[in-house]
Amino acid sequence: MSAPRAVIVGGNRVPFVKMGTAYAKASAQDLLTAALDGLVARYGLAGQRLGEVAGGAVLKHTRDFNLTREAVLGSALDPSTPACDLAQACATSLEAVIYLSNKIATGQIQSGIACGVDSTSDAPIVVTEQLRQTLLALNAARTLPAKLAALASIRPAHLAPQAPAVTEPRTGLSMGEHQALTTKAWGITREAQDELTVASHQALARAWSEGFFDELVTPYLGVTIDKILRPDTSMEKLAALKPVFGGPEGTMTAGNSTALTDGAAAVLVVSEEWADIHHLPKLARFVDAEVAAVDYVDGEEGLLMAPAYAVPRLLARNGLTFDDFDFIEIHEAFAATVLSHLAAWESEEFCTTKLGLTHALGAVDRAKLNVNGSSLAAGHPFAATGARMTASLAAMLKAKGPGSKGLISICAAGGQGVAAILEAV
Amino acid sequence: MALVVLPAVPDVKADLLKALGTSFGRKGAPGGLPEVTAVVRDVTQDRERLAGYDRVCGFRLRDQVSATWLHVLTFPLQTHLMARRDFPFPLPGVLHVSNSMTQYRPVLVSERLDLSVRAADLAAHRRGVAFDFLAEIHSAGELVWQGSTRYLAPGAPMDGLPPVSVDERDFPVVEGTRVWRLPADLGRQYARVSKDANPIHTSTLAAKALGLPRTIIHGMWTHAAMLAALDQRLPDAFTVDVRFTKPVLLPSKVRFGQRAEDGGWWQAVTTVDGLKPFVLAHIQPLKS
Repeated sequence: MSAPRAVIVGGNRVPFVKMGTAYAKASAQDLLTAALDGLVARYGLAGQRLGEVAGGAVLKHTRDFNLTREAVLGSALDPSTPACDLAQACATSLEAVIYLSNKIATGQIQSGIACGVDSTSDAPIVVTEQLRQTLLALNAARTLPAKLAALASIRPAHLAPQAPAVTEPRTGLSMGEHQALTTKAWGITREAQDELTVASHQALARAWSEGFFDELVTPYLGVTIDKILRPDTSMEKLAALKPVFGGPEGTMTAGNSTALTDGAAAVLVVSEEWADIHHLPKLARFVDAEVAAVDYVDGEEGLLMAPAYAVPRLLARNGLTFDDFDFIEIHEAFAATVLSHLAAWESEEFCTTKLGLTHALGAVDRAKLNVNGSSLAAGHPFAATGARMTASLAAMLKAKGPGSKGLISICAAGGQGVAAILEAV
Repeated sequence: MALVVLPAVPDVKADLLKALGTSFGRKGAPGGLPEVTAVVRDVTQDRERLAGYDRVCGFRLRDQVSATWLHVLTFPLQTHLMARRDFPFPLPGVLHVSNSMTQYRPVLVSERLDLSVRAADLAAHRRGVAFDFLAEIHSAGELVWQGSTRYLAPGAPMDGLPPVSVDERDFPVVEGTRVWRLPADLGRQYARVSKDANPIHTSTLAAKALGLPRTIIHGMWTHAAMLAALDQRLPDAFTVDVRFTKPVLLPSKVRFGQRAEDGGWWQAVTTVDGLKPFVLAHIQPLKS
């Protein structure tokens, strides 16, 4: 008997919005529950016990230590559905898809939901380290003089709240500053970045107008469409923006970088047998995945370059080249990130010295790249992006027809990258 | 019954002050209930306020609003009727003893609603005189929600009134499995989002003036928190009957439990030791 195979049944997400806007009052748990509820409604899962729900958030409040389980308990799923929180920065929900697919392949579970959420609006605010130490001392103090001494050591400057940093702990650089170094190293031009950005917005706008997202998105809090999307953006409009990373000579702007986004997404992953028993559609099979990490700390490699390593290893293991794929989905953390990956794969030097290949991996056909738009236009609620991309790619493969193949690649903080292959059933 | 169509949802604080200021000289049960239905049409729901309400009561923020939120929307019409000079009972001392509501279908926050409330069912109660506020909510002409809020005006029962209709069912006290910690400022938090600014929930002085040691939480907060505990297991169409047996002082720790039975749910909020019930509820899905 062959091992069971995991298939993607479908996905559901809320429309993504810019931080501090329509979802400003929604917590990460509200958003994640909304994404799950929509998925449950789409596939008639109310009252069902699933094998596992796996998901997470990047910006996470300590009260949300069991975020995914709490969202399951608040959803219409059977409360005896187990859940686990996992985290791999921006690759969180793609890693969740891999985790569930592996459990399905080993027969440990039959069904699961991979999901992710991020709300920059609900970001935990942390107190300064000095105030934290003082409060801990105050808590430990047993006598009134000791308590007063602890309180007396508080200085006004200690009271300023600390917003969560989006900087890499080991380098102190933001993700954009890191990418700016890579962008410069690969000589990625402003024009190329803006072109990719316009293409992303136009493709996402076309997909929305064609009804592609009708099966993938459920309105939430009165929002019916991705709000970061600018269908009318143009090279001229983007050219007017000032660089935000890489200094005055930099090429990266607010236009060709992803915006801080609130949103949640979920994808239903089950065994083929389970899908058949429950009369559910089978959009695409999960084939294989690879995670890579790079040493970015001392500048050995760019922070967001790990997918440039994960993808070639994944292709080699499966005996595939870019030409074997119908769709290639590369997460657009920044337009320059995608272009740096493409440049690396086209570089003889990079592929021979860094990847140990005998020649360059080759070019990606732009007609297959992010065909229905990606994070620049849709937005990027960190942990939700993997589930968004998985569900969208599965739907595209289903439409393309049996045997068609798709590749997903996501870069993540910490110098990591995750790639996965799906194939239409 | 005359219709009084109000141009906008009345201001609860102003009506509460008016009702308090005109407490004396009200006729009591012999005065009869005002023969009017207060109506406000085409009411827009405030998403910001709903988000605050959901947070305070423990609901997840959804496009679908809770049945208790719909009650909150009609509450200003209750206080408006109570503030009228022809309303027979003085506001201080009137107790909310039970509540019943039916949600006919899920209502979205985007819907514009027509609200109506009237007072009815003057009846003899063993501790005074009872009456109901009967409320209805229509959306584009369709009845979507109905509520009945029973109050008790303590005092001497009046002769000649019909006996109060009693829900004869025995509400079981369900064994509590959860502990709820109600913070001291919960009354103020709920007052902000519900607009029920009755000082008995927000001011210790006012509570003491009415013979309570501390402030008490609004019965409708407890009711809402109980419904919120069912999350998505709550049916789309249902009736919920609630009995308030004892006020919950703030701050306090209470016990909550629920049990499924015959497609519905029994719920109870009790003292932590489980001996005395504060609020009992029964939820029954509507048969389609």
